[in-house]
Amino acid sequence: MTTTTTTAPTADWLDFGQLSVDPYPLYDRLRGESPVAFVPITNSYWVTSFPAVRSVQDPETFVTVKQTELGERTFGKLPMLALDDPEHAAPRSAVNPGLRPKAMKEYWAPIFERNTRQYLDALAAAGPGAADLKRDFATPLATKNLADLVGLRGAAVPDVTRWSHSLISALANFMDDPAIWDQLDVAKAEMLALISELIPYYQATPDLSFTSALVQAGFPYETVAANVMLAISGGMNEPQHAITTTVWALSAHPEQRAAVLADEQLWPDALDEALRWISPIGLSPRQASRDTEVGGVPLEAGSVVWLVLGAVNRDSAVFPDAAAFDITRAKQPHVAFGGGAHLCAGMWAAKWSLGHYALPMLYRRFEGLRTAEDRDAKWWGFAFRGLEEHPVTWDADRGTEA
Amino acid sequence: MPSITYLHPDGESQTVDVADGTSVMRAAISNGIDGIIGECGGQAMCATCHVYVEGEPDLPPVGEDEDEMLDGTSAPRLPESRLGCQLKAGAHFTSITVRLPGRQ
Repeated sequence: MTTTTTTAPTADWLDFGQLSVDPYPLYDRLRGESPVAFVPITNSYWVTSFPAVRSVQDPETFVTVKQTELGERTFGKLPMLALDDPEHAAPRSAVNPGLRPKAMKEYWAPIFERNTRQYLDALAAAGPGAADLKRDFATPLATKNLADLVGLRGAAVPDVTRWSHSLISALANFMDDPAIWDQLDVAKAEMLALISELIPYYQATPDLSFTSALVQAGFPYETVAANVMLAISGGMNEPQHAITTTVWALSAHPEQRAAVLADEQLWPDALDEALRWISPIGLSPRQASRDTEVGGVPLEAGSVVWLVLGAVNRDSAVFPDAAAFDITRAKQPHVAFGGGAHLCAGMWAAKWSLGHYALPMLYRRFEGLRTAEDRDAKWWGFAFRGLEEHPVTWDADRGTEA
Repeated sequence: MPSITYLHPDGESQTVDVADGTSVMRAAISNGIDGIIGECGGQAMCATCHVYVEGEPDLPPVGEDEDEMLDGTSAPRLPESRLGCQLKAGAHFTSITVRLPGRQ
């Protein structure tokens, strides 16, 4: 096969402060000028167009990034996300059964429903003049669902939220900030103490949780610990952001909100569109295992590629009028959950816990639920993007029976 | 060399030769054949490599995980429905023809 290749253009104009404020105009410029561009400050190639995704998701040409210092310092041993198959497949296939749709329907559904009720009450208690959807509902609910899915018996919800933040900060501690390591070490001591108790418990009392699955599969302590911490780091922030993003989007599009409220079967579409529109995870790093090319740009073996999920999901060549939030758009797979062997393990859990419980129950209970316009919402981030503050209000609380 | 023929909903067909061990899903991805997504890379965690197997070849029975995921396909599940990631050249067939559903 003969292909014409060019050297990758360099995007040295990217303003990282602006990326966190609003990455989408910058993503559009990148995609328009050079959908595969070298970004010197990150020493990586940014891929921002949808058609390039398939080449980057080829598991033989692109593998996990072999820069393991932060991962090892954070998790002890490398967890499944940092491994390639076949090493990755052993823990992953152990946890998959508890995370498939059947387990959602038959085992987790009542747990998601119970947790949602609990935090609807917390939101109600904050009141329509002061409620913050993230602080009072999305964060604690996403944390509690995660704690149950992972099987963190007895852990307090605020502790699990703090653990998750500590792990995420550590994984991004490129500047080697000692305060971040100190915070991680405190959290890790607490997590490891809990995991040491959970291992004998799940040896004797298995269930469908993530920790139980790893224990039952016979993995050693370090493997269980690393993967449980991986799940804690990766399963809270995203569903939390998905809840607030969906409510924010529906508040800004009252006609679409009315359509969903009139037909609750549309909730999965609304959630899916919110995940495409403002994807909670903005980046997926990969590394070329051999000389290759992406979108006509030659890449040497060892090159690091960032699949910019947030940009790929805004490619208007694939999603017409991609900047528009539209729950009725034609079904077209997006990459908010990643793809390939590392496809988000919690994808079905997110779809069920949010699309079948958190979102519909929120609107059933609070009539006229919407973003409060007299207080400021605050968007932030591009590697992880979502609302840091999301003031909401409503017209009537229909109460616990709603 | 084993081969796989993909029949598209518009009547077009494409045949590819594949190495032993290659799945119907993976062969479609690496040959740029539209109509198969293979979102989860072949671990029966999605149902986006749904195919209808033509004829009645002697294939292994539908596995438990595969069965569960086939219940959630976008296009209707039929008796000949399979997940392409579970059908491997050499081990399960030497030549096979699959119809691609209209959506995944």
